[in-house]
Amino acid sequence: MSRLVLQFEGAVLKEIPLGTRPVTIGRAPDNDIPIDNLAVSNYHARVYVEAGSLVVEDLNSLNGSFLNDIRVERAMLKDGDAILIGKHHIFVDQVHDAAVPADGLRKAPAPRVNETMVLDTRERREMFEQAVAAGERSQLSPDRVRVPTLTVLRGRTDQKEYRLAGKLTVIGRSEMATVRLRGWFTPSIAAQINKHEDGYYLGRGDLVPKVNGIEIGALTKLNDGDLIEVGRVRLNFLYRD
Amino acid sequence: MRIEAGARTDLGRVRKNNEDCYQIVPALNLYVLSDGMGGEAHGEVASTLAVQTIMAHCEQAENSRATPTFGEPHPDVSERTNRLASAIHLANRKVFEMAGANPGHKGMGATIVAAWIEGQRLSLAHVGDSRAYLLRAGSLEQLTADHSLVAEKVRIGILTPQEADASELQSVLTRAVGTNENVEVDADEQMLLVGDSLLLCSDGLSRMVTDPEIASTLLTSTSAQNAADRLVDLANENGGVDNVSVIVLRILPKQESVLDRLKIWKRNSG
Repeated sequence: MSRLVLQFEGAVLKEIPLGTRPVTIGRAPDNDIPIDNLAVSNYHARVYVEAGSLVVEDLNSLNGSFLNDIRVERAMLKDGDAILIGKHHIFVDQVHDAAVPADGLRKAPAPRVNETMVLDTRERREMFEQAVAAGERSQLSPDRVRVPTLTVLRGRTDQKEYRLAGKLTVIGRSEMATVRLRGWFTPSIAAQINKHEDGYYLGRGDLVPKVNGIEIGALTKLNDGDLIEVGRVRLNFLYRD
Repeated sequence: MRIEAGARTDLGRVRKNNEDCYQIVPALNLYVLSDGMGGEAHGEVASTLAVQTIMAHCEQAENSRATPTFGEPHPDVSERTNRLASAIHLANRKVFEMAGANPGHKGMGATIVAAWIEGQRLSLAHVGDSRAYLLRAGSLEQLTADHSLVAEKVRIGILTPQEADASELQSVLTRAVGTNENVEVDADEQMLLVGDSLLLCSDGLSRMVTDPEIASTLLTSTSAQNAADRLVDLANENGGVDNVSVIVLRILPKQESVLDRLKIWKRNSG
């Protein structure tokens, strides 16, 4: 079967088999080939079969569709043609189905990206700019800083309240512990809290802590107001302003 | 606690040269693994230089407090973890300079995953898509976040993990050592517990072997070396399309008492 191969900076992003339906290309997510780039119009172009021939048609896009580097409105396609939309290339890979009896004679898939490559800073920035912008918009008040704290409700500890400043917060008898527990039978590492990109996670040490009365299994994400029990110590996890 | 280490590297079934490199320094409890890239025998130049630079820098820092630091320190991790990150910044500089000085080495680079253990505290730093996993109480957790295009897209929610696994873009890294003048290093720390297993691996393992397979291999192995051997064998059985390297660490009690064994057994069965 014929197909279109979407490439960005030489790397294959997607392969789209060509059927009887037109294949649409654009920035809107409901396209067959969505390209998330501001240089691409919402409904930028389409590729379809007309009287047995493959055709590319520009849908009045702002920045145009280019066939082998020439701006086109409508053009017939042949095997190996390159369509340029924004910074993305779409290659035409035509296989004549009639002559292909079975899998054995199928054309080998497009070359895979075997060699490891690295994006440069600008490419990375471009790729993630939009996502970051969306994330920022969804935040209620970006300038409000909230400090994660543990407040001791019960048990023997060296302080009554702790601010979680580092990536690792150890709860236990150890000298390395942030929340230092006392008591003869308290383990040196009773539990630990790890800071991840999306929040704070409680994990076991030599004790299995409880969150809101339930023993944790794997790492458990802490929510504002959670009640943590480590042995006989009871802590309240709070985000303070 | 004491650390039992095992390691293995293998060409895999497709590649003609091994661009991976690992090194273990028991005296420092320092373990570093790197996957080089650049083709035509330059990948291993990059990975070897990176690993050796990290080892030398950490050793020097152990012996002399006056050892300079490289890169911006992370305020939220310990001095030791920052030292490990500093070593990777220095490795980045050295690989980058070498790539710039020799036209034949242009474009070479490497991933790094490095673990440094002091007492019970594990310092972990990485760049690229080589990974660290922790097996604790029977469940496997990936401690590192890949610096690859597909992984970053999964993290911001524009790709599902399933789409990422099927993607042909898995080899596209967003960060590597030696490809830019500066590099951002991820650094993190953890407290290790008796009974834990830690795995450092190149993508030749993580792309070929599923997480459940990794977990069950670590759980059922007789030693760290046995686990390393079996993981590499599994990667090759599943296709072995890339070089594969693993370092396995098992955290054992100093002298195993009946109580310790009971604790580990209880944890793994509960």
